[in-house]
Amino acid sequence: MIKTVFFTALALIFFYIIWINNIFAPHEKYEMPVQYAKIAEDVKYAKEGKELFEQNCTACHSVRYDGVYPSTMQTNPNLKALQEKYGKVLPREVYESTFNTELSQLKESFGKIPPDLSTIYLSRGKEYLFNFILEPQKVLPGTTMPPVMTGRPEETAKIIAYLGSVSEPSPSEKTKRNIMGIAVIAYLVIMGLLLWVWRGSLLKRMGLH
Amino acid sequence: MLGRIGRWINERAHFDELWKSQMVDYKVPKNLTFPYAFGVMAILAFVIQIISGIFLTMYYQPNVHAAFDSANYTILKETPFMWLFRNVHAAGANFFLAIVYLHMFTGIYYNAYKKPRELTWIVGWFIFFVLLATALSGYLLPWGQLSYWGMVVTTEIPTAIPGVLGETISIWMKGGYELGQITLGRFFGLHIWLLPLILLGLVAFHLYLVRAAGISNPEGVEIDKKKEGVPFHPYMTLKEGAYVMGYLAVFFFFVFFYMHHFLPADNFEPADPFKTPAHIAPEWYLLAFYTIFRSIPEKFLGFIAFSLTLFLLLLLPFLDFSPQKSARKRPIFFVMFIVLIISSMALTILGTMPPTPVNAKLGLLFTALLFAFFLSLPIISVIETAASKVKGR
Amino acid sequence: MESSRRDMLSLAIGGLGAVGVLGVLYPIVKTLAPSAASLAGAKVEVDISQIPEGNVRVVSWKGKPVFVVHLPADFQWNGTTKEDTNKKLLQGHNAYALIAVCTHLGCVPLWKPQGEAEYNYPVFHCPCHGGFYSPWGDNIAGPPPRPLHIPPQNINGNKLVIGESGFIKEQT
Repeated sequence: MIKTVFFTALALIFFYIIWINNIFAPHEKYEMPVQYAKIAEDVKYAKEGKELFEQNCTACHSVRYDGVYPSTMQTNPNLKALQEKYGKVLPREVYESTFNTELSQLKESFGKIPPDLSTIYLSRGKEYLFNFILEPQKVLPGTTMPPVMTGRPEETAKIIAYLGSVSEPSPSEKTKRNIMGIAVIAYLVIMGLLLWVWRGSLLKRMGLH
Repeated sequence: MLGRIGRWINERAHFDELWKSQMVDYKVPKNLTFPYAFGVMAILAFVIQIISGIFLTMYYQPNVHAAFDSANYTILKETPFMWLFRNVHAAGANFFLAIVYLHMFTGIYYNAYKKPRELTWIVGWFIFFVLLATALSGYLLPWGQLSYWGMVVTTEIPTAIPGVLGETISIWMKGGYELGQITLGRFFGLHIWLLPLILLGLVAFHLYLVRAAGISNPEGVEIDKKKEGVPFHPYMTLKEGAYVMGYLAVFFFFVFFYMHHFLPADNFEPADPFKTPAHIAPEWYLLAFYTIFRSIPEKFLGFIAFSLTLFLLLLLPFLDFSPQKSARKRPIFFVMFIVLIISSMALTILGTMPPTPVNAKLGLLFTALLFAFFLSLPIISVIETAASKVKGR
Repeated sequence: MESSRRDMLSLAIGGLGAVGVLGVLYPIVKTLAPSAASLAGAKVEVDISQIPEGNVRVVSWKGKPVFVVHLPADFQWNGTTKEDTNKKLLQGHNAYALIAVCTHLGCVPLWKPQGEAEYNYPVFHCPCHGGFYSPWGDNIAGPPPRPLHIPPQNINGNKLVIGESGFIKEQT
């Protein structure tokens, strides 16, 4: 009995550490004021954020998964024709070869092609983005990202809300998934209990208990 | 109507006889504990991986230009319900390995590798090895930063072998001097065809051996199956069925609500051969081996040490030749088993920590403890053999 | 009493098991449904003045071939058709789009401005199994069971927009 408790506890602690909260590994923590965090999490601001994004960021950045391309490409007549052919989101090969000139120009001015921001919300998280966009040099010294948004935290938060809306499922989809998850887990628990009870009654009948 | 179709088929296929001989007349010890259910859970995890993987191949594109977008746009955003399959496959791989590790530790604890089950253990070891290769190759496919750099580090490991040999193996794994389309294509082929087919064959052989040699017993004493055994169905099937439902409930909790660990953030950044991510470590199931490799200052020695760990695991049935079975009956073995699990857990956790000098010393300590477990086995065996002889006289 | 409880139990387990199987099949079947991108109604614009009168151009709309027909203003056609639903719908338009998929088995018909076989006036002829359609897509002869489908379309001066609801609101 003691052994069972010991081994179970050991396994649970182990998987808690490596899967859920590794208290031993270093974590980079970035802070974000609560009022801006609220804005960044709210899809309501995504539309406004997209407009802000197009005003402030599309000089260099794209959000390919939302069909937003750098402004130098927006004027390129190829873009529309290609989008008719391939849909809103152009395959990366097509995008990179068609806009090779524009991309090389960006590369020349910044040292590397400014990254596409389709999945940046997932890879960096809102806190990092908030700090980085506001003061790029402070978070990543030497970066070629210009401090476009310095002193505009609210607008920055809205842009993050937009980037979040591109990466994350919509709120209605999220609720759907949560309900689905709860239903699946409830089903499995009930099924497990029923099997257990059924086994009890079967074994009793067979005299095996 | 359905009943008549069933009877018609049964008259020809005799499924009822098969069921009776394989499930009802197959007798197992009555005292099998919860950890014995890890085996069936592993089979289930394998089935889940196959099904979800088949559906993922319909949308995934093994092309360096398209792989990232196909995984993160087509699969995650565009195709209905494919997010579920990706979550299931990603979490499933972790759960599969977790269950396999638990299954292995159960086998060690109850000494299920001893005569007549040595071959079962050896085949199981090959399953473990191929499974690690499958996981490793699958990890490359999304072509994110972690995929890319994880594989860069993995293919660098053979260069620890001195001389031209290590270099050659490394280039041979990559199919060139750097990771590229050839590497992705070959790991895709390995991941979806060759390795799973080998696994399927090995798992079938493993299961056959479990039946042929009989299942082990927590008490370590072989039972007279006719007298003491209970029918596999319904005694075991329903018990393990209920456990499996519990396992699935935990699994789906992670699938629906906690994917942060299984779809790591850094991998949502496309592979960039010019920028290494800040924290690059293998997945948790390789960390213990990684820490052994890393803690030993000399690269080649590190390589030898971690290969040796795998090899000692394979040789377990021959290192431990004591007539006694099951840790329940063997106090010294029980202590060494605790040493084994503590040191392997510690090595895993150390792998997630930065390689400071203190951590390197700790890594060496736990590596030594891990080897101590394996090396203590022959000694324990000699002591126990002597003790049982005394008792026998 | 005891046995009825047992029956309830196995029934419940059987029923729940069936629900579980359906639950697994549901997402699997769902993934096979059209993706978000292919459901989005794309619009295709065609400049009519670029198509000579009496000619047909094939464009792609939602991945399907579509005929854009440009008839002369005073076009006369004296064949007979089995049905005339398309002609009625397209009444008064000499530039319109038809989905270029034969309603028999899905081949793409050919435009024959000089006629084909016994029909010596403009027709669409499907080469696979010999179906004939009028310039409006009404079936004349052969195996096609119904006229060609008409996509939603709108005309704006010389600009025909396929996929926008206009003089044809919905696909027939």
